[in-house]
Amino acid sequence: MLQRWFSAGIATRRLVVVFCVAVSVVALVVRYPAALRDANDTARENAALDFVDRAVGAGNSVFPDQQLLVEARGLIPADASFTVAIGEPQPGWTPLTATSAEPFLRSFLLPRRLEPEGGWVVCLACDRAAYPGAAAVWEGDDGLSILQRE
Amino acid sequence: MTVRAILGIVALNGAYALLGVALLWAIRGLPRWSDVLRLAGLAYLLGVAAFGVVWTQLLVVGVPLRWLGLVLSLVLGTAAAVGAGVLLGRPRPRGYGDPARHASGAAVLGTATGVALTGLFLEVLFRAARLQGLQAYDAWAFWVPKAKAIYFFGGLDHQVFTTFANPNYPPVVPILDAAAFHAMGSADVTTFHLQYWFLVVGATAAIAGCLYRHVPAWLLWPSLLLVLTVPRVASGLLVPQADVLVDVLFVVAALLLALWLRDGRAWRLAAAAILLAGASLTKREGLLFAAAALLVALVASYGRHRVAWPRLVAVAAVIAAAAVPWRLWYRSNGIGGEGPSAAGAGGSLDRMLDALRLSFDVLFDTTLWSVVPVVALVAVGAALVWGDRRMAAYVAVLLGLVFLGGAWVTYAFRELPITAQESANPIVRYTGAFVLLSAAATPLLLASVWRSGAEERR
Repeated sequence: MLQRWFSAGIATRRLVVVFCVAVSVVALVVRYPAALRDANDTARENAALDFVDRAVGAGNSVFPDQQLLVEARGLIPADASFTVAIGEPQPGWTPLTATSAEPFLRSFLLPRRLEPEGGWVVCLACDRAAYPGAAAVWEGDDGLSILQRE
Repeated sequence: MTVRAILGIVALNGAYALLGVALLWAIRGLPRWSDVLRLAGLAYLLGVAAFGVVWTQLLVVGVPLRWLGLVLSLVLGTAAAVGAGVLLGRPRPRGYGDPARHASGAAVLGTATGVALTGLFLEVLFRAARLQGLQAYDAWAFWVPKAKAIYFFGGLDHQVFTTFANPNYPPVVPILDAAAFHAMGSADVTTFHLQYWFLVVGATAAIAGCLYRHVPAWLLWPSLLLVLTVPRVASGLLVPQADVLVDVLFVVAALLLALWLRDGRAWRLAAAAILLAGASLTKREGLLFAAAALLVALVASYGRHRVAWPRLVAVAAVIAAAAVPWRLWYRSNGIGGEGPSAAGAGGSLDRMLDALRLSFDVLFDTTLWSVVPVVALVAVGAALVWGDRRMAAYVAVLLGLVFLGGAWVTYAFRELPITAQESANPIVRYTGAFVLLSAAATPLLLASVWRSGAEERR
């Protein structure tokens, strides 16, 4: 039987080729409109976002208020350094705030460098007494603030 | 998000394509303008890979990547390639037709349909990419910060490159991102998604262009379009990470090696060397893919080893020369190696079987890859029986090595749980290389089966 299969005629070989192409075409008929629809939906969703939503990106899932990110970029000079201080989670925080705030800010605020003794403190319900002499230059809800050290 | 940013990124990618065309003209010759058009995608990938490889070496030795350096490197690189082409006596392209292919009306219709459907899909992707926010974890956690470090500080900033996550990941993607930032005029992490759109366009054109003369349109386009639209590929095309680029560089190089096994044209090896060098500096598994492709090509060319093997060794030497300096840099900066801490040792047989089972489950998960791997395996089997057996064996063994490589990663990195969850185990992302190679090789294999019938009839 194997011998017969291996010496199969042209028709059998071509049937296998046509079968493979037919399976791909059927899958394509299913997948192509779905992929087009998904990409179109993504394009529409992206277009519906405002400038800040796009600039903040994943930060919207990390921080309860994107204003903190906008203010941090506006207030902390590009050549300055900052530190992130995180206290007890607050009711308005997202599940990612406590764990991802520091790595996100470190990425988002570049070229500002993250340094423990940085001149600026991005404070998320932090213990302000730990930064004596630091003045709040911006304060928002849910314990969010930006402090500037002396 | 401005017109200026879009124009900048268009100009940058045009410059990559121009560099690549010059390189391709030097190593191959482009006798007709139709050759330039047909191989424009391959040329673009060559330009991207060459740019990434050269700038990796420059950054390692401390040359800063600034606006002027970016422009100079592209201009000088293109001029050097053109100079090499002149020295090698390459004729200038003339004429438009393709004398090697007399397409029937049906073939033209098939090509036009494939190009139109692909173009429509790419147009929608363009609109999605243009206004895409930075969402993917790996992208904001380390790929983009590294790019920003190159853009703002000029080079491999010690603090960023040694303390962010995955510090030993190679720098080609951050280099391309940093170049995009320079071209756009700012670190615009929205518009820079267009860079990834250009990579998708280039990859699609490269695969289609490499296969155009070797397979009929009705075999090429269903496979190519299907792989672009299967759920896991379609959803990852614009994610600003290195996975798509490393897969594309590897797969196009593997295709060139497969065609070289058939016709022995040396330019294919030169192009594969550039692409694989780029892959080895794009992601850690790029080195594994390059080694697998060369090893299989070495075995498959045994019949003419006196001519073929020295050339393959030369390709391996080029890749090693490109890959080593970055590895030396990160080791000299106190960063650990790329391999698992106890590679191949200490893992249990159970873990090995679990890793294999996981790779198998992921590969045949139709919700991720539709029928692409299944059709490819049928095509490999058919070609082994009736078609071009050497090429089929090359593809089969290479797919097998890529598959086993994925299982080895899960097995050897013992901190990875046995799960297809992408945040915990990279096996799904890794399997993308297998699937893309499957889709690109399927038309070649099926064409050899189809033609074997015709040859026998003659």
